[in-house]
Amino acid sequence: MPHITLTDVSVAFPIFGAYGTSLKHVLSSSVTGGRIGQDAGVTVIQALQDISLDIREGDRVGIMGHNGSGKTTLLRTLKGVFPPQGGTREAVGRISSLVEPVQGMEPEATGWENIALRGVLKGISQAEMARLTPEIAEFSGLGDYLSMPVRTYSSGMMMRLAFSIATSIRCDILLMDEWLSVGDVEFKEQAEARLREVVDRSGILVLASHSADLISRECNRVIELRQGRIVRDGRLVAG
Amino acid sequence: MQQSFSSTAAACRDWWRGTRNARAWWTLARYDIVLRYRRSMLGPLWLTISMGLMLLGIGPLYTELFGVSKSEFFPHLALGIIFWQYFAGTINDGCTAFSGAANHIKQGDNPLAVFGWRVWARNLIQFAHHIVLVVPIAIWAGISPAPANLLFFAGFLIVLANLLAATFTLGIVCARFRDVPPIVSSLMQFLMFVTPVFWLPDKLPPKARLLLLNPFAQLLDVVRGPLLDRTPPPAVWASILGWTVLNVAVAAILYARKRSQVVYWL
Repeated sequence: MPHITLTDVSVAFPIFGAYGTSLKHVLSSSVTGGRIGQDAGVTVIQALQDISLDIREGDRVGIMGHNGSGKTTLLRTLKGVFPPQGGTREAVGRISSLVEPVQGMEPEATGWENIALRGVLKGISQAEMARLTPEIAEFSGLGDYLSMPVRTYSSGMMMRLAFSIATSIRCDILLMDEWLSVGDVEFKEQAEARLREVVDRSGILVLASHSADLISRECNRVIELRQGRIVRDGRLVAG
Repeated sequence: MQQSFSSTAAACRDWWRGTRNARAWWTLARYDIVLRYRRSMLGPLWLTISMGLMLLGIGPLYTELFGVSKSEFFPHLALGIIFWQYFAGTINDGCTAFSGAANHIKQGDNPLAVFGWRVWARNLIQFAHHIVLVVPIAIWAGISPAPANLLFFAGFLIVLANLLAATFTLGIVCARFRDVPPIVSSLMQFLMFVTPVFWLPDKLPPKARLLLLNPFAQLLDVVRGPLLDRTPPPAVWASILGWTVLNVAVAAILYARKRSQVVYWL
């Protein structure tokens, strides 16, 4: 059964000042007992604190919160990108993540090559990719543009491609971060239909969004984050 | 004790998971090369051409300067430059193995090891484009294959292991300390001159023989020597094996202890 469980998870980012990433400064400050190299001091940003969360099959979780409240970090922690410094993460099932999916693209490579590359990086077999590629191409609606380098794409086109790839690959858990904001009306409708299909198939959806509308439409559970802590975790009545 | 054992096992599993996914790192490496030359007509063949031109430029000049016989010196120099560029290229590239792959690492689909292997493989592909030049050079210099040449493969395995370890070590250190890459690149520049890349070691005055103790001189010796039918003495093999063990150990310890922090530094 696919599920993700976080227990008392905390995630903190060390932010090194201008000199904190300098080996010379760190060495000289250790020699002088840390007095000279004040700038070498590390600021720590506590991005997530005491997060306990149990996400089970059938959950469609909406994550709400202000900018900087930890939504994206929480998604990445669920995915396993950030190994928690405190607490534990346990995950079962194939996770597909749509957190800044455009970042994983190679700008100089063509659309086709990027499809192949994402497939390889996600560990999809060649046979499965051969089956999925035409489907991805069709859904993206990019047509001949797929033979062009991705750097020539508009951000909407990039998003189409990234979204098509990520939602074509079978997964048990889908993580998304505000993806619906890009794309034209036509693609938005198409994407929402696809999303529903994927959610029905995958069983678990975690969606970070500022849109209360979207969350009440797509989710059955809402989590609100404030300064890296969960301040609300409640069920939504279907409707 | 129990915990350190299980964390070592976890590190090994993580490393192996990335290593096993050879299709991923090999594809990334191949794309790195292909995409770099995408907009040029001859493509990666430029790698071979530019190295060939460099050898043609430096070769005759240095032969005259040192007053040595062409057929003896030129293969030495050519192999020296080709191997050095492979060593220095991998080491300089290794510095950005992880910091340069932040976009992929933050997607969270692959363990860190994939991106270390990618840099290692990318430089191996580059090296393959350079080493083919050995064939025309050998024909020109009248060098015919000898059984001792086979030792090259032993030497090359040592090179591969060391470069892989250096990539992981530097990748981790440079992700944390961003002023290390320029330090490394200056250091490699300096090491190039104290390593017998351009000069013949037997022309050294006795006092300067200490230079040959630098591990890069030995690393060069175990791959170039066998190809030129000048097999290095056992002491050199023993010494470079010692360096290799040290190098691999440092990389393994760093990977085990720091790999989970790297993503926080990107």
